[in-house]
Amino acid sequence: MHPVLDRADAHVSCGETVAVTGRSGSGKSTLLNLISGIDRADSGTVEIDGRDVTAMGEPARTLFRRAHIGFVHQFFNLIPTLDVAENVRLVLELNGVRGAQARARSLAALAEVGLGERAHSAVDQLSGGEQQRVAIARALVHRPPVLLADEPTGNLDEQTAGEVLPVLLSLTRARGTTVVVVTHDAAVSRLADRVLELREGQLHEGREPRAGAS
Amino acid sequence: MMATLRAASLRHLLRHPAQLALALIGLTLGVGTIVAVDVATASSQRAFELSLQAINGPATHQITGGPRGIDERRYTQLRRYFRDEFPPRFAPVLAGYVSVGERTMQLIGVDPFAAAELAGGRRAPGTPDLASDDGLRRWFTEPGAVLMSAATADQLGLAINNRFELAVDGVRQRATLVARVADAGAGFDGMLLTDIAQAQEWLGAIGRLSRIDVRLPEGAAGAALLARLRAQLPADLELHGTRAEARETLAMTDAFTTNLKAMSLLALLVGAFLIYGAVSFAVLQRRASIAVLRALGATRGEVLAVLLSEAAVLGLVGASGGVLLGVAIGRGLVGLVSQTINDLYFVVAVNEVSLPVSSVVTAVSAGLATALAAALLPALEVAASAPQLGLARSVLETRAVRLARTLVVVSALLALGAGFMVWVSGRSLLAGFATLFMLLLSVAAVTPAALRVLAQAAARLGAQSPVARLACGDIAASLSRTGVAVAALGMALTAMIGVAIMVESFRESLREWLIQTMRADVYVSAPGPAQGPERRLDPQVIRALLATPAVRDHSESRRVQVASERGALDLNAVKLAPASYAALKFTQADAAHAWPQFARGAILISEPLAWRLALAPHDTLTLTTASGPRSFAVAGVYREYGNDRGEVLMNLGQYQRLWDDDAISGLGIYLAPGVEARRAVGELRAAARGRQALFIRSNADIRALSMRIFERTFLITRVLYWLAAGVAAVGLVSALLAWELERSRELAILRSLGLTPAGTALLVMGQTAFMGIAALLAAIPAGLLTALVLTRVINRRAFGWQIDLHLTPAQFTDALWLALIAALAAGVYPAWRSARAPLASGLREE
Repeated sequence: MHPVLDRADAHVSCGETVAVTGRSGSGKSTLLNLISGIDRADSGTVEIDGRDVTAMGEPARTLFRRAHIGFVHQFFNLIPTLDVAENVRLVLELNGVRGAQARARSLAALAEVGLGERAHSAVDQLSGGEQQRVAIARALVHRPPVLLADEPTGNLDEQTAGEVLPVLLSLTRARGTTVVVVTHDAAVSRLADRVLELREGQLHEGREPRAGAS
Repeated sequence: MMATLRAASLRHLLRHPAQLALALIGLTLGVGTIVAVDVATASSQRAFELSLQAINGPATHQITGGPRGIDERRYTQLRRYFRDEFPPRFAPVLAGYVSVGERTMQLIGVDPFAAAELAGGRRAPGTPDLASDDGLRRWFTEPGAVLMSAATADQLGLAINNRFELAVDGVRQRATLVARVADAGAGFDGMLLTDIAQAQEWLGAIGRLSRIDVRLPEGAAGAALLARLRAQLPADLELHGTRAEARETLAMTDAFTTNLKAMSLLALLVGAFLIYGAVSFAVLQRRASIAVLRALGATRGEVLAVLLSEAAVLGLVGASGGVLLGVAIGRGLVGLVSQTINDLYFVVAVNEVSLPVSSVVTAVSAGLATALAAALLPALEVAASAPQLGLARSVLETRAVRLARTLVVVSALLALGAGFMVWVSGRSLLAGFATLFMLLLSVAAVTPAALRVLAQAAARLGAQSPVARLACGDIAASLSRTGVAVAALGMALTAMIGVAIMVESFRESLREWLIQTMRADVYVSAPGPAQGPERRLDPQVIRALLATPAVRDHSESRRVQVASERGALDLNAVKLAPASYAALKFTQADAAHAWPQFARGAILISEPLAWRLALAPHDTLTLTTASGPRSFAVAGVYREYGNDRGEVLMNLGQYQRLWDDDAISGLGIYLAPGVEARRAVGELRAAARGRQALFIRSNADIRALSMRIFERTFLITRVLYWLAAGVAAVGLVSALLAWELERSRELAILRSLGLTPAGTALLVMGQTAFMGIAALLAAIPAGLLTALVLTRVINRRAFGWQIDLHLTPAQFTDALWLALIAALAAGVYPAWRSARAPLASGLREE
């Protein structure tokens, strides 16, 4: 069987925003699944903050992911049976924050993405851009040190993507969150601190670092 | 569980009301059937217990005699014998059956003074108020004075002082209702109470008692009195505890109620498949959401807890609905069950419906356990899956195919296990039912793989038509949906075919048996319960009947119940006409050896008795005769379907000698050549007219009556199997509906490629019909096997009957109709919807 990733090696610093680009089927989503512990590599290691995710068993990986990683997906993946605030609160509850505190923090997170007024709307009543902002609020509400984003603008038009992306990056930069974003979108790559290109299973330093990145 | 997860789960259920309703219907029907059977049997048993309490009152023991009862002088002797400070209390009772209009009632003759003494000085319920002069005067002085409960009097339309007619042993008597007992309780329903002297006169038992009720104190004093009492009793009298007696009578219905309970469990088992289908669909529908939850950090345990909690709520709601539905169905079934008990076992009047708390607890637990068990597999499957978003459909189907292959092995193991269980379990009825359920599960387990093979074969056969190939290929490729639905339907159809073959085989065996057994042309008997000792023909009437010119020859029989070392047994003492000897079909020993031994004093026993008491030729059976216990050699075992407890056949002359009873309960009359049965019946009725009202019926009439009773007995079985079938049909409809609706996008693509709306509808209907037929094809051989288990294992172990298998095409028609109707009903809505749905929106749907 042909390996999806083969000797893919990279180091991402704390608070850094890294864009991963590559052709369709190059293994970008698999890379995110390996970092988050959703998938497990046949060999090699993934270390986050000095902890070897690949050495953990499934329950430990789940608990690690719950506390340390936020996820933003191309198709938003909101739970349709929960309203906007409940979708955000769910992650807090999974992390043991309950009741009034969870409610207050989820409303604050929604306010940060500009959706304080839509807290009790059904998710299917929101536009694509709004849904992605809910997904961003959900991914960051428990203040994870790492945010993984899989084509966050892939399902949005250019104008909406232009509105959503600054929200995502301003929040993560303000909090010092490390971001790994898989994208085809040149605009996203331009705003990243660093670009890694995934080619034939390996990561290569990309060509277009963010203008003015340190 | 977290509030948001709970909310998400609840809202998902509420957003799919039809799916929720179908899951709940399956569970409600399954649990409802269990409760209904419990309500019906418990109500009949409760009515029986209440009537025993009413008759026995505070008695702790009973003294009983043989078929002729007890000489009343024994009662006086016993009272005189015990001159202790605290002697045992005795009360004489004479019980028998009478008819008031069409209704058979128990006549209880009591001595109100002795009954009050037995009750510790209080007025015994159902007896006259000893403090009321008028009540007491009328009870003792007014001929035909009777009491009855207010409820029974209302049913008969009788007010106080009303005179009415009752028939005792076919002879009409005049009675007067002197009081209605308002506080009698349900135990007195269907009972007439009169003074013991009046009862002796009506029942033709002057100087005789049915039994003596005894009340002994508790503790050591009671035990000492009991020992003295036992020592005092002559050999022909027996002393029993009242509870043991009641248990023994109720135990007669054990096999009957076990059969009913097994049928109700079948409904729940089929319901479990329905719930499995609904829950697994609900889980799969949410696989993306569940994957999101897992990606966000929900552990497998948390996901499992959410899904199982959901199933538990479904289980509780469905089971609660089932309890309510069960009580409603149970009210309808009470009539059928009590009718069967009256036809086959003992007379009981059920006017109150009982719902034991234990039944509610059992039913709710069964519902909950079923829902959890049904949800466990899909929930484990989803919770254990890696949280890659949007787990691909193809992955699920690959797993379903793998599971179907594993299930073939499971099916084979279940079938082997069933065979092994029959082999090792000997006589256990419960093991028999366990075998049956293993067999049904084995059918269900093999069905998905069989469906896949069949659908793939059909797809190859339909190679010329891409649409046909697509239709069949889809069925094979969507095994996670189609397999469960077809398995549930296949199991219900299997049970249906099995029961239909069993009932039809039984009917045919009974018909053949009746033809063989009923050799005489005309049968004469006194009205009343089969083994009632008061059921006897007036000797003068017998002489008049036999003097009729149409009579060529006759057999005589005396049917009674006698005590034995193995409990009370039905005894049929016969003097046979030469032509009657061929009536018995021996299943153990042969006629050439058995009849000469019978003539020399051996007994013959019927198959059910041989099975129940594990007796065979050359064994002995001890019966309590008028002069004490006596052993009889068993000369042979014969086939009999008329009495599921079985009977002992004895030479009439020997019986008369040993039990000092020369009464005759019935005659079998052979007519002179050329005499028509109808004309002879008229002549015989004319001979008895004015002396005794008798049942005089031709051979053909009795056969027809027996078949009617048979149909009535199996009516409950039919009601229950239609309930199970209904659950399966709902299951198929819900599973296929869900599958077809899920494929709306695929169907829209086909339409965009040029398939007409009619063609789409035909495609959908063709698929559901194919699955119905596949379930039927699986069910036919499995149904035959089930019929074998029902006839050779279940019926044999429950009643000792051996039934020959009879197969007719009609036995498969109910199953065919159910398969087709369920399959077509499942296809109609999706076919209509997909043919009419706007193409553009269908194509956009994700």
